[in-house]
Amino acid sequence: MDVERIKFERVGGFANMRLAADLDMHELSEEQADTLKELLDELDFAELPAKLTSDKSMPDEFTYTITVEAEKWQHTVITSDAPDDEKMQELLELLNRLARKQLRKH
Amino acid sequence: MHMHNHRHPFECVIPEHMLEKIATNGTDAQKQKAMENISVGYQLRAERAMRASLKELFASTVPRAVAGGKERVVYDVRHGTSLPGTVVRREGEAPSSDPAVNEAYDGSGVTYDLFKDVYGRNSINNNAMRLDSSVHYRTGYDNAFWDGKQMVYGDGDENLPMDERLFNRFTIAIDIIGHELTHGVTQFEAKLVYSQQPGALNESMSDVFGSLVKQYQLRQTAAEADWIIGGGLLTENVNGIGIRTMKAPGTAYDDPVLGKDPQPAHMRDYVNTISDNGGVHINSGIPNHAFYLTAMELGGYAWEKAGQIWYVTLRDKLGENSNFQQCADLTYQTAGDLFGSGSLEQQAVKNGWAGVGLTVGGGETTEPGGCLEATLRFIGAAPAK
Repeated sequence: MDVERIKFERVGGFANMRLAADLDMHELSEEQADTLKELLDELDFAELPAKLTSDKSMPDEFTYTITVEAEKWQHTVITSDAPDDEKMQELLELLNRLARKQLRKH
Repeated sequence: MHMHNHRHPFECVIPEHMLEKIATNGTDAQKQKAMENISVGYQLRAERAMRASLKELFASTVPRAVAGGKERVVYDVRHGTSLPGTVVRREGEAPSSDPAVNEAYDGSGVTYDLFKDVYGRNSINNNAMRLDSSVHYRTGYDNAFWDGKQMVYGDGDENLPMDERLFNRFTIAIDIIGHELTHGVTQFEAKLVYSQQPGALNESMSDVFGSLVKQYQLRQTAAEADWIIGGGLLTENVNGIGIRTMKAPGTAYDDPVLGKDPQPAHMRDYVNTISDNGGVHINSGIPNHAFYLTAMELGGYAWEKAGQIWYVTLRDKLGENSNFQQCADLTYQTAGDLFGSGSLEQQAVKNGWAGVGLTVGGGETTEPGGCLEATLRFIGAAPAK
């Protein structure tokens, strides 16, 4: 997957701390970039529905917006906190960690 | 702020005898509308009966306390995602060596006690629902939530180096536990939709009773309480006292990494946003502060009078789309029902809402008389508004 950039935002939650990151794949470590690409491939991210949340929000759950930009395509997925897909959970955990790192830098 | 929320008479419970009288004695047009209303009344009763049986069906799907009283079960998810996890402590068992387990157990116990001993409510659904809590949910999960059946708690950002951590484990503050369980009470009562003002009221009810759980545990008066939500949750790396403060919304934290507490304390600072389901965790500062002002004016233990007024309003009066103005009017009405019209308690409620920029009665009336007026208007016996 020829991914160039990932934009990530997390809102809601009990503490309502907005977490956002704009990740340039070329600026990440090779290991991080590879892991992300692998997860996106396994999820077949470009083919995922735009909305993975139910219409009814659960109290205090997070809502995540992930936009993946490649050379020839771009796709945004909005998901809630409890997707059944383990790969999606792994992706969310990794993006959370990377966003927290960016948070401290700024 | 004026709300023009015209009441349809079918939303009111119109006494059958009143409709029958209109159908007998009214003009031809009035008779016809009253007859239609009676017929709709039958439909409504059928719908209500169906809803009641669905409610029973749903109630039977939630875990129920064996003895019909307080029953807690704490599970350990062991940083996985499969809920509820492995049972680690049941009702009556000795404390665990894991503080998160004991906090979830004790906190849900005090929450049960407050609702039972003070408000006469038998658990979250008022039907002996078992209190299930799962701790150690996922890794680096800085959140707690109510999933419709149970409480779920993360450990904060335990996966980061100590000097980068912002959050401790989410069971550390008992008001968070009370907050999550109150989402359950709201789910079974007013069912406030989790968006915009009804969502902010949903959040505020959870903060109000979360704080009251802590005050009840510590036997603190309104003046002694700190009114902080999530006290102890933030690590020493953060410049803040907690996640929210009902005493002074907007001042809980101001930190280079976490940012500044965005809560308003007054309607003039209401935040219009699409984020966070329309700012449910932001604008809840307004009704939170109204409750604080009411409780402070009344003095003594806040759970006794102010809490009672808010609880009865949540249980009996608020609906899924209620807004701030309606909550102000209905808490005022409840205070009148409980303590008398013109009582000090009712005045305190009025002053509490005035302190956040809401005038009780400032919107359309929501008093019972409004139903009669709406019915008469509907059948043409009162001037249209």
